[in-house]
Amino acid sequence: MSIARVATSMDNGFATRLRASLSPRLLLSELLLKQWFEPVIPFTVMLALLAWFSATIPNYAGLENLLSLMRLYAEFGFVALAMAFSLISGGIDLSVGAIFAVCNFAMLYFLYVLDLPVWAAVPATLAVGAAIGCVNGLLIGYLKARPFLTTLVTLIILRASVNLLNERYATVFATNSVDSDVWDFFGEGYVLGVPINAATLIVVLLVGHLFLSRSRFGWHLTAIGANRKAARHAGIQVERMLLFTYVLSGMLCAFGGVFYAARQTSTDSTTGVGWEFQALTAVVLGGVSLSGGKGTVWRAMIGGIIIFLLTNGLVRMGIPGYVTSGAIGLILLAAVGVDVKWAKNRGKAIQKIYVNPARVPLAAAPSLLRGSSSPYAQNDRLIGAEAIGLDQVEGPEDVILDRQDRLYGSTRDGNIIRFSGPSFEQREVFAHIGGRPLGMQFDRDENLIVAVAGMGVYGIRPNQEVYKVTDETNRTWYKLNDDSRLRMADDLDIAPDGKIYFSDCTTRYEMTTNSLDIMEGRPNGRVVCYDPATRRTWTVLNHFYFPNGICVSHDGRSLLIASTSLCKVFRLWLGGPDKDKLEVVLDEIPGNCDNINRASDGNYWLALVGIRTPAFDLAMRKPGFRLRMVKQVPTDEWLAPGLNHGCVLKFTERGEVLESFWDPTGISHSTLTSMREHKGYLYLGGLENNRIGRVKLEGADPSWTGYEAYWGSKQRN
Amino acid sequence: MGFFTYFLRDMEQILFPNREQHAIPSMDGALGPNDRLDACTPIGEPLPGVDDALAAGDGALYVSAGKQVLRLSGEGFAERRVFAEFDGNAGGLAFHPDGSLLVCVSGQGLVAVDGNGKQTWLNQVADNPLNCLTAVVVGRDGTIFAANGSSRNPPEDWCVDLMQKNRLGRLVTCGPGFAQPQVVLDGLHYPHGLAIAPDGGSLWFTESWNHRLSRMALRDRKVAVVNGNLPGYPARLAPARGGGFWLSLFAVRTHLVEFVLREDDFREEMMRTIEPALWVAPALATTNHCLEPMQFGSIKALGIQKPWAPPRSYGLLVRIDEDGDPVRSLHSRVGGHHHGITAACETAQGLVIVSKGSGRLLLDRSGGRP
Repeated sequence: MSIARVATSMDNGFATRLRASLSPRLLLSELLLKQWFEPVIPFTVMLALLAWFSATIPNYAGLENLLSLMRLYAEFGFVALAMAFSLISGGIDLSVGAIFAVCNFAMLYFLYVLDLPVWAAVPATLAVGAAIGCVNGLLIGYLKARPFLTTLVTLIILRASVNLLNERYATVFATNSVDSDVWDFFGEGYVLGVPINAATLIVVLLVGHLFLSRSRFGWHLTAIGANRKAARHAGIQVERMLLFTYVLSGMLCAFGGVFYAARQTSTDSTTGVGWEFQALTAVVLGGVSLSGGKGTVWRAMIGGIIIFLLTNGLVRMGIPGYVTSGAIGLILLAAVGVDVKWAKNRGKAIQKIYVNPARVPLAAAPSLLRGSSSPYAQNDRLIGAEAIGLDQVEGPEDVILDRQDRLYGSTRDGNIIRFSGPSFEQREVFAHIGGRPLGMQFDRDENLIVAVAGMGVYGIRPNQEVYKVTDETNRTWYKLNDDSRLRMADDLDIAPDGKIYFSDCTTRYEMTTNSLDIMEGRPNGRVVCYDPATRRTWTVLNHFYFPNGICVSHDGRSLLIASTSLCKVFRLWLGGPDKDKLEVVLDEIPGNCDNINRASDGNYWLALVGIRTPAFDLAMRKPGFRLRMVKQVPTDEWLAPGLNHGCVLKFTERGEVLESFWDPTGISHSTLTSMREHKGYLYLGGLENNRIGRVKLEGADPSWTGYEAYWGSKQRN
Repeated sequence: MGFFTYFLRDMEQILFPNREQHAIPSMDGALGPNDRLDACTPIGEPLPGVDDALAAGDGALYVSAGKQVLRLSGEGFAERRVFAEFDGNAGGLAFHPDGSLLVCVSGQGLVAVDGNGKQTWLNQVADNPLNCLTAVVVGRDGTIFAANGSSRNPPEDWCVDLMQKNRLGRLVTCGPGFAQPQVVLDGLHYPHGLAIAPDGGSLWFTESWNHRLSRMALRDRKVAVVNGNLPGYPARLAPARGGGFWLSLFAVRTHLVEFVLREDDFREEMMRTIEPALWVAPALATTNHCLEPMQFGSIKALGIQKPWAPPRSYGLLVRIDEDGDPVRSLHSRVGGHHHGITAACETAQGLVIVSKGSGRLLLDRSGGRP
């Protein structure tokens, strides 16, 4: 038996438990939950394209080529950014390419025809872009014209105008030249080794990012895109914001036009043709949603770079332009399809793959045969338990008594109920914490420390004042899910040095969905410690199978931890030569263990919330069965352990089970989760029960109380 | 079952959303829940293994229970005496116009017991033993029809037969005096109840494992499905006054059992390693034994188990009209006592209901009327 125990304890090492908490599907589901994961896919595509062209086109990866690519790209980058802003605001700007062409013309016109100096021509060009954007914005924002049609009309008019003007001035531009260093710098200069237009784009991106994600205007813009009506109801000036958005879009196009003019110093009828379509493809591909309200400047740039690399690379490989256009059309179709479907089904997809059952290594279950010599043999010792507070408590998960013999129960309505008087006839709400109060313990100063599922660990002073003890622990650095918050603090106990040890039974589910954690059968829980002296909280034991009951041993040197889903009790050494070592104390338990508490004779009490049934054990060995059950069968109909039975065990420090107390059909005590010995009686609490029970213990020390055992004369060191 | 099987099933549901999925119908309308079975008066002491009941012309009641057939008579059927005794369990009952009582005996066959207690046996039809006779009925012309639930399991092992997903049932017929026995229908999903329509022109029968009520025209033996998706596992049929029938359902379907029936790997290992009483399967009665499988909805909350919790066992008797549509129903829900209804019959004193799960005969003096 001892050899078997050592073997099992080795199986419970950190590496084994860590491995049991890993799975590709689980990783995927947690990745999909992350906001940053969506642009990862287009980003990868971008890198892949770069790698592919580097491999197929000679000298592609060289610095020189990259710099020239940046110079070629920057203008398109501005136009794509303009498109992104209009999409995020819930509209669309199809005139971006035409505005770009007009501004390109305007810049040249100001310089070559009006002979304006560069410092005046640039603002003037930007003003032209802003003015055209302003027309769009007025029509869309104030006249409530549809963005698609409005900007389409703008596109046609501007395109026609720019063609007319081109015809007239092309020769003027071709024959004139401007002798200006500033102008040459705009066309060919470098800033810190980066082409000037790309450097400007980077600055604009940084400003645009701060603007969109950190400023009030940016938030308003996103809010309008997500839901225009709600934004209006929230007091956002929708018309003004839309006007502003299209002005911004026009100005960004003007930036592109300025640099393009400086680089090309000419204009023709193809300038900016089809850019609206390329820009749209780019930003949607990058992950800016067509339905508005979702997107960042970086996503727009990733998409823009992909489209640029693709067109540029394909041209250089000698593929005809119409094939490239066709390819980009198909990409747009695919990107739009994915955008629409993904936005609609993301939550559903995550939900579908979030639960990932694993095989649970359960030990054999001992016989419960009534009348046998087994310590687990069923009996009726709890059926006749005296009922306290019948129908006055809703689910006292844990019960405890104070030095004045008053009885406390933690109930599902977020209360701590207190019963006092000789037969506990006086009921009062001792404190309302909220959440789902579960395990309780008194500290040395008689504060009642409570583990509250959904909130953390709270304390109640004797004057009924509630205070927070802790609600977060250190984050596990390698986990995708932020697990710093306490999800479901379940039971706690206090060591002689005042440290509070508590179980956080799952980091993937909540109190309301913790049956899913049982179904999943992975080590998702942890044991956490809070030190009142330093006010620090840290995780003592990570990746643990549904840790539930926690009890500091009589000598204060180790911690007993009950695992509900593994049906075992473990011991964690807090000090001594075996410090931090985890070993199995109780291996083959016939049920799902819950709270553990000290007994007056130096042993321990253990409550079984559920009894293992052969069918449930079989299901625990079959993860695929459980996965499909969770998906195909309604929650109410899932296979469960036998929960309508009450059982309390007594076991020794060495892990021998001495006796059991049963209510085999749950007449008085079903889903029995806790028991507390006090002055010769055993008090019983149940997660779903309508009473607290008590039974007289024959031969138990009639003066033993929990408080004395922890902090007073009954300590056993 | 590999990934591919599940994939195919998913694809089928996507591509053919209207193809019959056999979703469990909800119990509403005429099948709306009530507690009428629990309100019925039990007749006398419990009768362990009670299975079928039949009203005789003289006002007496013949009941099969365990290895005996009892004759109950008097006010409230208080007087009991043993009418016949067999080596196997007695099941379905019917009277023959020649005055004898036909009894289905588990593992043995069909026996006709005449007024003097003389027994005549029919043990096999076309070399196939009648090991699992579940019901017997006699047509107007004296033709006998009997249902053999499964050629593989006796009626006591019905749960095994369900979990094996067998369709080994037969409908057999013979003339008066067991002349010319022959098989009428083969490959049935555990035929469990038989009745002749009031006009004498058709034979109605139930199949438990595919939850089906069918009708066979006696003239050309054409079979038509009357109700192909009952909410439970149908047992016997009994003619009702005013047309139609009493249809008893010995258990109701649950999502979990239907799911386990789809999970071949789990089910086979369950059958191999776990004793039948602890299977995830329907039952005639809930024992609340702690090793029985439980479902999350069955948790006792604040001392109460909700009556609409997923039932391991259930009591359901449905009155159907001439077209097979439910008219009204009598229930015993989760937490009730009278589960596992296998038969019902109308008598002069009221409606007698057989609850095999509780081993009780129940009397509804209103005759099952609303």
